[in-house]
Amino acid sequence: MTKKYFGGCDVGSTTGKAVILDENGNMVASMIVPSEIDPEVTSIQALEKACAQVPDLGGYKNLAYLVGTGYGRNEVAFANENISEISCHAMGTFFCSPTIKTIVDIGGQDVKTISIDNDGAVLEFAMNDKCAAGTGRFFEAMSRIFRMDLDEFSSLSLKAKKVIPVTAQCSVFAESEVISLLARRNPPEDIAAGIQMAVSKRCFTLLKRIGIRPEVTVTGGCAKNKGLMKALAKVINIEVTPLAVDPQIIGALGAAVFARRRQ
Amino acid sequence: MKLNTVFDNTKNTIMRLPELTKGFLKRSLVGYYFSAPRPREALILTKYWIMNWAAILYWIGQSIVKLGPIGFTRALIKHPWILILLRVNGLSNRVARDKTGVYHDTLCMTVHTVALGVINELRNMLFDAENLVIFEDLVPYDIARGMGLNCYMLELWGIVLPLLVSDASLQYIDEAENSGMNPDACSLPKATVGMVIKGQTPKGIAMVSSNLPCDAGAASYAFIQRAYGNIPTYRLDTPYNFYNERAEQLFAKDVMGMINFLEEHTPNRMDWDRMRKIFEGRNRMLELEMELWEMSRVKPTPLAGAAVWLSHLWHFNVSAGNPTSIRHYEKLVKMARKNLENNIPATKNERYRAILWNPPFLHFSDIFNWAESTYGVVLINDSMTYNHHEPIDTTSPETMIKSWGKTIMQGPMVRHTRGPAENYLDDIFRMVKQFDLDMVWVSNHLGCKGGQAMNGILREQCRAKGIPLLILDYDLSDERIVSHDNMIRQAEFFMENVMKAKRIDQ
Repeated sequence: MTKKYFGGCDVGSTTGKAVILDENGNMVASMIVPSEIDPEVTSIQALEKACAQVPDLGGYKNLAYLVGTGYGRNEVAFANENISEISCHAMGTFFCSPTIKTIVDIGGQDVKTISIDNDGAVLEFAMNDKCAAGTGRFFEAMSRIFRMDLDEFSSLSLKAKKVIPVTAQCSVFAESEVISLLARRNPPEDIAAGIQMAVSKRCFTLLKRIGIRPEVTVTGGCAKNKGLMKALAKVINIEVTPLAVDPQIIGALGAAVFARRRQ
Repeated sequence: MKLNTVFDNTKNTIMRLPELTKGFLKRSLVGYYFSAPRPREALILTKYWIMNWAAILYWIGQSIVKLGPIGFTRALIKHPWILILLRVNGLSNRVARDKTGVYHDTLCMTVHTVALGVINELRNMLFDAENLVIFEDLVPYDIARGMGLNCYMLELWGIVLPLLVSDASLQYIDEAENSGMNPDACSLPKATVGMVIKGQTPKGIAMVSSNLPCDAGAASYAFIQRAYGNIPTYRLDTPYNFYNERAEQLFAKDVMGMINFLEEHTPNRMDWDRMRKIFEGRNRMLELEMELWEMSRVKPTPLAGAAVWLSHLWHFNVSAGNPTSIRHYEKLVKMARKNLENNIPATKNERYRAILWNPPFLHFSDIFNWAESTYGVVLINDSMTYNHHEPIDTTSPETMIKSWGKTIMQGPMVRHTRGPAENYLDDIFRMVKQFDLDMVWVSNHLGCKGGQAMNGILREQCRAKGIPLLILDYDLSDERIVSHDNMIRQAEFFMENVMKAKRIDQ
C-alpha cells in the first residue's frame, strides 16, 4: 500500500455508512448497508464493503485513521476516535459545499437542524428525538400503507393536485389518519402531499429554533425523498441546495474528513 | 393475594437484589463512604446526616406530643408526601458527591438549613392549622411574618418534593390534568393544584395570590379557590410595566390593600417594628449575598453550584430576614472568603463558567454535578438567584411597603416574564460580563410559554455577541416529558459540538 487512506463510519439506526478518503481528500469509496442489531457488526460490514472498493487498501484495519459517528459510534471499538454525528454532518456538508450554513439532517430515528459557521464548525443545533413522526421510520410506515417502496412513495406527491392536511404530531395517529383518508377514496398523491407537507412543517419548527440562514441543505436518507424536498422548499420559502454526493453518507464523509485532518 | 403472586413478587425482589443494593449503595451514607474523596468529607457528611435525622426525630417527637400518636398518624395519612421529606439526606449525598473542602461543607450545610426550614414549615402546618394564611410562592411572606401570622406557601412542596425524589410530583400533575387543568400548563401549578384537589394541603383561613409570574400560575388559583370553597382571597395585581414611579405607587397601594385584607380576616395586626426588623434582616442577607457574588467573580470561583442557588431559593423566598437565614449567609460568606484568601477554588475542575437561566432543574438538580465532573462546567449563578434589587428603605412604614413592593415587582421571574424583552435579555448579558462567563444555559421549561417565546431573540443576541448558548429542553417537575438521559444527551451534544470540549472524566 503506497497511499494512506482515511475512514469515516456512521452507524445509524437504520443503515450503516462508510466513506474512504485518500490522502488528497478524494472520496475513493462509500458504502451503505442495512443496520444489524449489533452496531459493531454494522460498522464492520459497511467498512469491509467500502474497503473492498479500494484494491490497494487491503481491509479496514489498514486505514491510517478511522472516525466513528452516529448513534452506535461508541460501539465501534476499533475506531481511533468517536465524534458526534452533529459535528460530522456539519463537516461533511462543509466539505461538499462551503456556502451552506443550515442543515436539516433527517435520519432514520431523529431529525436535527444544525447551523454552521464559515469554517464548518457547529454554531447551534436543535433536535427532535422524542418521537418518530417526521423521520425515516415514519416514511417507511407511510409507504407500507400505500403498498409502495420508499422511492415510489417519495415521488408520489409530485403528482398531487392539492394537499390534503395530515397530522404529523404523532406517527401512530398519522398512520390511522392516512388509512381513513385512503378508505374515503381520496387521491393517494394528494394524501402523500399532505404527509410531506406535515413533515416539512415539523422540520421548519426545528429550523426556526436555530434560525434559517441560506444556503440550506438536507442530509440523511430522507434527503432522497423528492416530494419532501419540494414541500420543504415551499414551507421555508428557500431553495434547498442539493449536495454533490449522496446525502445519506454525509455523516460518514464528515467523519472521514475529520480522520484525514487528524494526520 | 394468591400464593403464587406472593411467590413471584418475592422472587422478582430477590432477582433485583443486586440492582437494588447498587442503588441503595449509591444513594446512601454507606455508598458515600465508598466514594468519598477523603475521610474528612465522609466525616462532615456524616455530621450533617446525623443533624438532619436528629432534627427530623425531634420534630416527630414534638408532633406526637402535640397531636397525639393518632393525630400524628392521621396527619401522615392526610399528607403522605411528608414521608418523601425524610429523604433529605439523599439530596446532600447527591449535591455534595465528589466535592471536597469548603465547597463540600457549604453544600451539606445548605441542605441542612433547608431541612430545618422545611421542618419549621411542617410545624406551622400541623401545629396551628386553624390560623394558617396561604401564600402564593412569588409573594414572600415577609409582610405576614411582620403581622405575626402563621403562613403556608402552597407551591412549596411542588418545588421541594422533586428535588428529593424526581418523580414525586407526577401523581399530583396527573390529578390536576384529570380534573380539567390544561395539560400544556406549567407543571408546578399543576402539581400544586393536584395536591389541593387530592386534599393533601391545609385549607387556611385566608389566601393571598397574585398574577405572578405567568398565566398558568394565576389560572391555577381558580382551581384552588374552587377546591377550598369560600376562602377569602386577596390577589395582588402586579403592573405590566413596572420600572416607573407610578407603578411603584400603585403596587404599594395594592400591598397596603393586602395588609388591610389580612387584618380584616385574621386576628393579627401589623407590627411595624417587627416588620422593620425583618426587612433589616433581609437587607443584611442582601449585603452578604452581594459579597458572595463579588467573590464568585474571581476565576476560579471560591464557591458555586447548589451552595449559591439553593441558599437563595430557600432563604430569600421562604425565610428572608430570619436570624437562621442571616446566620447561614454569614457562614457561607465566611467559608467562601476562607477559600478565596487561601487561593483554593471551589473545584479544581473549573474549565467553563456558566449561568442557568429560567427555573432550576428541580427533578434533576444534580445535573450540574454531572456537568462539573464531566466537562468542568461550574454553575456560577442563576436567574432565580440574581435578584439585584436595592435594600429595603426602612425609614417609615410607607417606604418599607414601597421598596418591598419593588423587590416583588422587579424580582426574578416576575421581571423576566413581563414587560419588554430587554427585561429578560439585559440581565443575562449583565451577568455574562459581571461573572466573566463562558456560556449560558437556558433551562427551557416546555410548560413556560413566556420563556419559549424569548428563546429566538436570545439566540440571535447571543450569536451576535459570540456567547455560546445551550437551550436545554426539560419540564420543571415532570421527568416524563424529557428524561434525565435525554437532558444529559443535549448537554453532551452542546459541549462536544459547540464548545469542542474534551471530557475530563475519561
